[in-house]
Amino acid sequence: MRGIRSGAAALAAALFCAPLAAAPEQAELCAACHGARGVSALEDVPSLAGQPETFLTLQMILFRERIRRFEPMNAAMRGIGDAEVEALARFYAALPPARPETAPDPERASRGRALSARHRCGVCHLADYAGQAQVPRLSGQREDYLLHAMRDYQAGTRQGTDTSMQAVLYGLSERDLADLAHYLATVPAAR
Amino acid sequence: MTPIRLATAGLVLLSAPALGQQQVPAWAQGRPDHMAQSTLAPHPPRMTVTAPGDVPMNRLRVPQGFRVELWAHGMPGARMMALGDQGTVFVGTRVIGRVYAVTDQGGSRSHRILAEGLTQPNGIAFKDGALTVMAINQVLRWEGIEGRLANPGTPADLTAAFDMPPDQHHGWKFTAFGPDGRLYTNIGVPCNICTFDRDRFALIVSFRPDGSDRRIEARGIRNSVGFDWHPVTRELWATNNGRDWAGNDEPHDTLHRIRRSGEDHGFPWCVGMWADPAMERRQCSEFEQPAASLGPHTAPLGMRFYTGTMFPEAYRGAMFIARRGSWNREAKIGYDVVVAKLDAQGNVTSVEPFLTGLLDEQAQQFHGRPVDVLQLRDGSLLVSDEQNGAIYRVTYGG
Repeated sequence: MRGIRSGAAALAAALFCAPLAAAPEQAELCAACHGARGVSALEDVPSLAGQPETFLTLQMILFRERIRRFEPMNAAMRGIGDAEVEALARFYAALPPARPETAPDPERASRGRALSARHRCGVCHLADYAGQAQVPRLSGQREDYLLHAMRDYQAGTRQGTDTSMQAVLYGLSERDLADLAHYLATVPAAR
Repeated sequence: MTPIRLATAGLVLLSAPALGQQQVPAWAQGRPDHMAQSTLAPHPPRMTVTAPGDVPMNRLRVPQGFRVELWAHGMPGARMMALGDQGTVFVGTRVIGRVYAVTDQGGSRSHRILAEGLTQPNGIAFKDGALTVMAINQVLRWEGIEGRLANPGTPADLTAAFDMPPDQHHGWKFTAFGPDGRLYTNIGVPCNICTFDRDRFALIVSFRPDGSDRRIEARGIRNSVGFDWHPVTRELWATNNGRDWAGNDEPHDTLHRIRRSGEDHGFPWCVGMWADPAMERRQCSEFEQPAASLGPHTAPLGMRFYTGTMFPEAYRGAMFIARRGSWNREAKIGYDVVVAKLDAQGNVTSVEPFLTGLLDEQAQQFHGRPVDVLQLRDGSLLVSDEQNGAIYRVTYGG
């Protein structure tokens, strides 16, 4: 019942928001992997809908400048001007974030919640994990992608705009990361 | 065998005092419990172009008789500056990974991207026609750079010779050639507050230009991202960033006078006479004392002595200091350029506001972040603004 209600809410939100922002031309290319409304159906590909505009802008610049290395994204962003980057960021930031589709495994979610509290994820990502400024939204994100991103930060193969993520994930086990990803991906989005 | 080795490793880790500190982000280390719910966090950078009409020129204020103009723009992340023999201004950045070159043709400036994709190329130094760039654990040099700005080619890679630590946190560099011809740089501490190898971190070091003969110039300086030499005494002066999460008004960021190579300035135990409560107690009087306070959490970065004649007498021999502005303080502070004046003995007699207006205290909003200052040969002063990707020029009279 709950799933149906939140699905309906998401649909209503999508219909309501649709006329607000026309998709920039490049969004057609993005849609192939990230979904037409910024909700990804592909493994390890993040959802962009409802991410903070500043975060989206900064990450696209990092891809374009090849500071963040992932060949398909480096290629996709090559030659894209700042104004187009900002238009894409505005578009995806205004789309409604995905709602979690699966019910959490209570034990793993509870472990993830405790880890999040201990490592103070909510200080930067905010208590409802909606993100702010350069800090991404975690609620509504794909579980496999969250795990993928945390592994990259922990291994030092991904750089943010500062070094916070490397430091906060220092010493966490693979199981810790998996439970954190599970908890964050299934936490109900407050907004 | 494996379980035993793991257990031993576990014991070593448990006994290391840094363990607990490494479990929180480096910028949150040392935070007292009463600040655990604080939502203070580093401000986001801006890495897209700010249109010249959006650079907040109408907010900028300078003392009477001075004027400030927009000298160059459209360079996201512009930070440290160095002046070439032919007048090129080289500009380093952090996250966006670029090095810019600004040239002036008949009163209008254009810039090009000299290098990109580097890891925080903040350190920029020019000498004998060559540009040296220090990124994190990377040292590059372009000989004869001003003759080939359009096609700079592949630089010499001096990384191995300098052998700098690879740590990202506080790993970005300020770089300058001293009057002794040596190349100086900072090595910041890879944490907020912790115990660490004091021969490796929290240092200002110097090298021969080829990276050999490393010498510790100052010890116990947490992270200096700006220094210069007194034009007469040739003493090294440096700004320093104090640690976070010790309260709104503690510790102060500081200005240091380094009279002799190797002096100890007290980090991680002391900032002046303030003993850090997170550390084992030490007598702060055993360390060199700062020459001046530059305010709590203000983030003083680039600084230079003024040796020109365009500005009035009172500014000659004084230091201009860019303060990037606070994040770890509930009421924002800084976001300006101050001037520190000295008496004949080299004592700091005052620290006064010089370029202000980028901080709206009432709204608690900042509109720019000054990072470096650079004197041009005509005696005017450039100020880089990282947040707006712009460079301002301050002139007097005329």
